[in-house]
Amino acid sequence: MSILEAHNVTREYRMKAETVRALADVSVAIERGEFVALLGSSGSGKSTLLNLFGGLDRPTSGEIRFDGESLEPLSSREMSRYRLRRVGMIFQTFNLIPTMTARENVSLALAFAGLNGSERNRRSLELLDRVGLSERANHLPSELSGGEQQRVSIARAIANEPQVLLADEPTGNLDSHRAAEVIGVLDEMRLRDDKTIVLVTHDHELADEFATRVIRLKDGRVIEA
Amino acid sequence: MNFTDIIALAWRNLRQAKLRTSLTVIGVVVGVAAIITMVSFGIGLRQNIIGQALGRLDVFTAMTVFGADTNDLLALRSGRTVLDEEEEIADTDGAQQETTASPNGSPTPPVAARPRRALDDEALAEIAKLDGVRFAVPIVSFPGFVRFNERTRQLWAAGARAGDDPRLRNLLVGRGFSDENAEEVVVKEGFLEGYSDEAFRRRRNRRGNPGGPFRRTSDKSEEDRKRVAEAALGKEITLYSAPAGDAAPASIFGIPLLDFPNSSPRQSNEIANGSPDGLPNQDRFDRYVFRIVGVVKSEEGMGLPIYGGSDFYLPLEQAKRLREANVSPMERMGDTLTGHAGYWGAELRVSDPSRIKPVTSKLTDLGFRAFSLTNQLEEIERIFLIINSSLALIGGIALLVASFGISNTMIMSIRERTREIGIMKAIGGSDGEIMRIFFVEASLIGLTGGVLGVIGGWGIDRVANLLANRWILRQVGQTVRHIEFFSIPWYLSGGAILFAVLVSLAAAIYPALRAAKVDPIKALRYE
Repeated sequence: MSILEAHNVTREYRMKAETVRALADVSVAIERGEFVALLGSSGSGKSTLLNLFGGLDRPTSGEIRFDGESLEPLSSREMSRYRLRRVGMIFQTFNLIPTMTARENVSLALAFAGLNGSERNRRSLELLDRVGLSERANHLPSELSGGEQQRVSIARAIANEPQVLLADEPTGNLDSHRAAEVIGVLDEMRLRDDKTIVLVTHDHELADEFATRVIRLKDGRVIEA
Repeated sequence: MNFTDIIALAWRNLRQAKLRTSLTVIGVVVGVAAIITMVSFGIGLRQNIIGQALGRLDVFTAMTVFGADTNDLLALRSGRTVLDEEEEIADTDGAQQETTASPNGSPTPPVAARPRRALDDEALAEIAKLDGVRFAVPIVSFPGFVRFNERTRQLWAAGARAGDDPRLRNLLVGRGFSDENAEEVVVKEGFLEGYSDEAFRRRRNRRGNPGGPFRRTSDKSEEDRKRVAEAALGKEITLYSAPAGDAAPASIFGIPLLDFPNSSPRQSNEIANGSPDGLPNQDRFDRYVFRIVGVVKSEEGMGLPIYGGSDFYLPLEQAKRLREANVSPMERMGDTLTGHAGYWGAELRVSDPSRIKPVTSKLTDLGFRAFSLTNQLEEIERIFLIINSSLALIGGIALLVASFGISNTMIMSIRERTREIGIMKAIGGSDGEIMRIFFVEASLIGLTGGVLGVIGGWGIDRVANLLANRWILRQVGQTVRHIEFFSIPWYLSGGAILFAVLVSLAAAIYPALRAAKVDPIKALRYE
């Protein structure tokens, strides 16, 4: 069974008078253990699809299924549990809380899962160690390089052991060397921990190098799956 | 996310904007301090007036207890009261008869439940043991003509116990009675004043009693007063009484043979003032000579006529005998019919005004009737409630203003932290958790402001109290008792802090809802 599915998903945004259709009747399926690259120019709807997979947004019509179960009936509270436990999100702009150290940022995700203080301390160090940042645990994001910040956000994303990692142009703000490094970390997660990776990017080289499959979107439609 | 984490997170958020948080907290501090200062003044005022001033005046700690009188006892025996019958008569022919005339002419207390039990020594001992009762002494009083300082006046004589009678405790000079049959009297300062040359001159000039019910504290010094009192010690007074014992009955079937003055003391005084020995039919009175052994200080402040109040005390047994001779003939007949009915009443003091109510209900349970000025006390309490509510309202307005500050601070903080809220949501924070963070932030502001406000209010109270006392000292120019103008009971500080927290929570409702509604996609889209 596919871990993530989109069934005839349409997503429209109402902007004053006009309606913008970001996704039009999209159906895709992502299998467990895949490294899928979502490619497309800006405005193609790839980020919209990723947000739908991540439970940050809901489709206008159609449905998203996780492990065969529709996300549609979930309440907002259940949706937040889904984001906490099932998927981990990584963003282009890292989205670390600037006033918290690397360790506190990772710890925050663990706190939402209800872990107590000492457990969080141990586990957040462990997670940072896994992305090679245990030395920099007590640094603020502003004291870290872009690549390091992104690795902190990966550590945060895998904190509650989700099966799926959703990355929205994680290398957009990084040079090619750092970019390869970050994607390498993700790929390692897939190989070692059997994670499923969905990567939104417009870097064809990276996609070709790491992805097991490429899905191309254009104007809100799938043109290659 | 558990609660301690939320508190830690909220605390961290507040610390991040120290200046803004401090200013918001100061707003709450001002509000709470205003409430504390205002209300503590109100409570202090109430305590000073009711607890201290009125409490010392005895007015609100004094009670009078009535046992069953002859009428009641007869009613108990026949199952039908004389009063009932009389009311029926009064209904039919409108004849009004005075049946419940109390022996000392005071107004009849409002009729509550009819007392069932006679007020004798045994009953008094029982009453004195009740919780909150300071003392209970029998009232044995009767009107008599008293000659002293070559003048004769009519006044109320009362009996007091030998030894330690609380009414005679406040001695200026001399001592109490040596024996309850002793031929001794103890008088109040007011008695000596009433017989002074000056008083007679004033009365003749018909200037009456200046100051109304407010008996002015003597402006004479303690030594002067003592000297006057010392001079009176050992002097003889003469009491004219109706013949006692087996003398000819004073009445036949209620028709008095004795021309007993039923008129008001003032009128009688006028007669008596006419000549030093201006008693009508002197031969019809027995003379008793007593010696003054003690002088009791006049009470300060208001001299309200309380039942049994008197300026002139005889030993109890003497008083009983003389009362017997001087009571109205009707009453004597009643006594004969029912046997000994005990005392007419007893004077009671409770430890503080708040004990009046429980003691009254206990006395009613025991079968007595109690009278006190509680209604008036309740009226005063009600006034203080209104004053305190108004004061609290003014303080509350200050806190209300602060609550807008809290709302403002929270909204500002949410605007600044939209992205952070979006991140929290994206990594799994629920709407409820986000709201809770903001509610906790607001209540931390409220709690901190509340605690500091209580401390601040206390500080203001202390300073104001110091200044006020210093000012009073300067005005009066002599040592006066230190007055505590403010009172902060625990429920005031606790209530103010709780109120501050609640107001803060209310102020956070809108901001928290707004925070929960933040759309993570929009929040995360832009740098």
